[in-house]
Amino acid sequence: MNYEIKNAWGILLRLYHWSLVLSIVTLVATGFYINSPWTNTTLEGVGAFPMATMRYIHFLAGYVFTAAVLVRLFLYLFGNRQERIWDVLPVTPRNIKSLSTTLGYYSYLSDKHDGRLGHNVLAGLTYILTIALAVLQFLSGFYLLYPESALWQGWGGVIFGSQQQGRFLHHLLMWYFILFAFAHVYMVIWNDLKSPEGLISSIFTGNKFKHKNT
Amino acid sequence: MEEKAGNIEQDSGLSRRGFIKGCTMVAAALGLSEAMIPKLVEAAESAERPTVIWLHFQECTGCTESLLRGSHPDISSLILDIISLDYHETIMVPSGHQAEKSLHDSVEKNAGKFILVVEGAIPTKDNGIYCQIAGRTAMDILAEIAPKAKAIIAIGTCAAYGGIQAADPNPTGAKGVQDLVSGVPIVNIPGCPPNPVTFLGTVLHFLTFKRLPNCDNLGRPLFAYGRRIHDHCERRAHFDEGRFAEQFGDFGHKNGYCLYKVGCKGPETFSNCPAARFNDVDVWPVSVGHGCVGCTEPAFWDTMTPFYERLPNVSIPGTGIIADADSAGLKILGVAAAAAGIHAAVGIGKSLIKGKDKDKA
Repeated sequence: MNYEIKNAWGILLRLYHWSLVLSIVTLVATGFYINSPWTNTTLEGVGAFPMATMRYIHFLAGYVFTAAVLVRLFLYLFGNRQERIWDVLPVTPRNIKSLSTTLGYYSYLSDKHDGRLGHNVLAGLTYILTIALAVLQFLSGFYLLYPESALWQGWGGVIFGSQQQGRFLHHLLMWYFILFAFAHVYMVIWNDLKSPEGLISSIFTGNKFKHKNT
Repeated sequence: MEEKAGNIEQDSGLSRRGFIKGCTMVAAALGLSEAMIPKLVEAAESAERPTVIWLHFQECTGCTESLLRGSHPDISSLILDIISLDYHETIMVPSGHQAEKSLHDSVEKNAGKFILVVEGAIPTKDNGIYCQIAGRTAMDILAEIAPKAKAIIAIGTCAAYGGIQAADPNPTGAKGVQDLVSGVPIVNIPGCPPNPVTFLGTVLHFLTFKRLPNCDNLGRPLFAYGRRIHDHCERRAHFDEGRFAEQFGDFGHKNGYCLYKVGCKGPETFSNCPAARFNDVDVWPVSVGHGCVGCTEPAFWDTMTPFYERLPNVSIPGTGIIADADSAGLKILGVAAAAAGIHAAVGIGKSLIKGKDKDKA
């Protein structure tokens, strides 16, 4: 078979992806500590501040997360063709077809693979949902970070309710990101096995291998 | 004395409610469960009132003043009612020879049974001539009375460790009780002044359990001196967050931030101040904006000064977790914005060079 290398993802998208991955892993680990500080009774004291350290790392990672999400929003509008939001919105005949093909393929109802250079539309829609929830996540994070700020109190209160409600939503959304990460990693491996096109390596190199004349 | 303390309420005008309240406070200070409160009440009501002889040496009487605080009638009445105070220079009626006679009568009569409370340090230089009462030196008086006591309570940092009199260069050779007396159990209740609840707790512990409370290696009851001020301070969160009053009267000070940088010695001081607090209004130095000076620690005049400069060798968390994260976060957002800017510039540049061929982007 004849393959050709096609560039799918720009450098900025790949940087965004890995910043988001590392920040999510860090945020979940430190977030669990903040939620349930298991060392508190043994380590907190003059020389060691596990809670302060964890919070610091959490906030730093939160900024990385926020920056990554903002970059992705930028790329939705100004990225290359695969990165733009129009490429995955099910509003064109091509995209609606991609959605139904992928649903059939993923549920083992058909063997027809939508060999697109960019995301298939099901994946693309999931990523849009994830980015939307990520926006909600960093907004709720800042709402919790600045409980005394009039600015965040004002519209944070409108969106999230009380601090405790904001905290609860922040916690629930964390579980979305954990579940998303599992599903995401599972699906890319599954795709790489079922229809090899260099899907996994594409997020490192930016390139996919496509059949010629497709 | 043989007299029973059964009618405390009638004798003193202290209400039953005030009496129970005082016992409950002490139970809390001692860390006892509420089930023990009736036992404390019983001990306070029915135990034989222990004879207490209170000696004043090199001191300012601040400990007594604090104990008898007029605004705190429950605690001070309770103290005066559960003990039989036979000799106390500040509040006794007799004076001169009469006072000395009652002291010696009481010591003879209750030898081996009375509790001796010592307030103030004892000068030892030049045979102790720097503190004399009724023509005798403090050293003499202590040497005569202390061995006959059942137990000794050294109240205040001066009696416990010498206090300000023993501060360098210690011109009078002042010493604490524990340096001069052996063979009699001694409890130190240091502080400048100590909390009356701690004294009452020690006495009630003695009446209820017939022994002195467990002490740390400095002879201080663990129930009151077992925990570090810093770990129980209401301003601790500000310390962990790196929010400090940089000087008195500044923004941080007005907003109740941590007083560590203006000299608070809480990280090195053990006492129940943050929990027990003082007087009716439940204050303690840090709650009213002044750092702890470490007054319950031995030699605090030498080791905790200067009082308004921070302790060396205590690591403090940066300029603040949130402030640090914000500063780094702005840089991260800046890098992201720059990356997006470069991306946009490259795209525009490419399209200018190659013409508008979007598919090749």
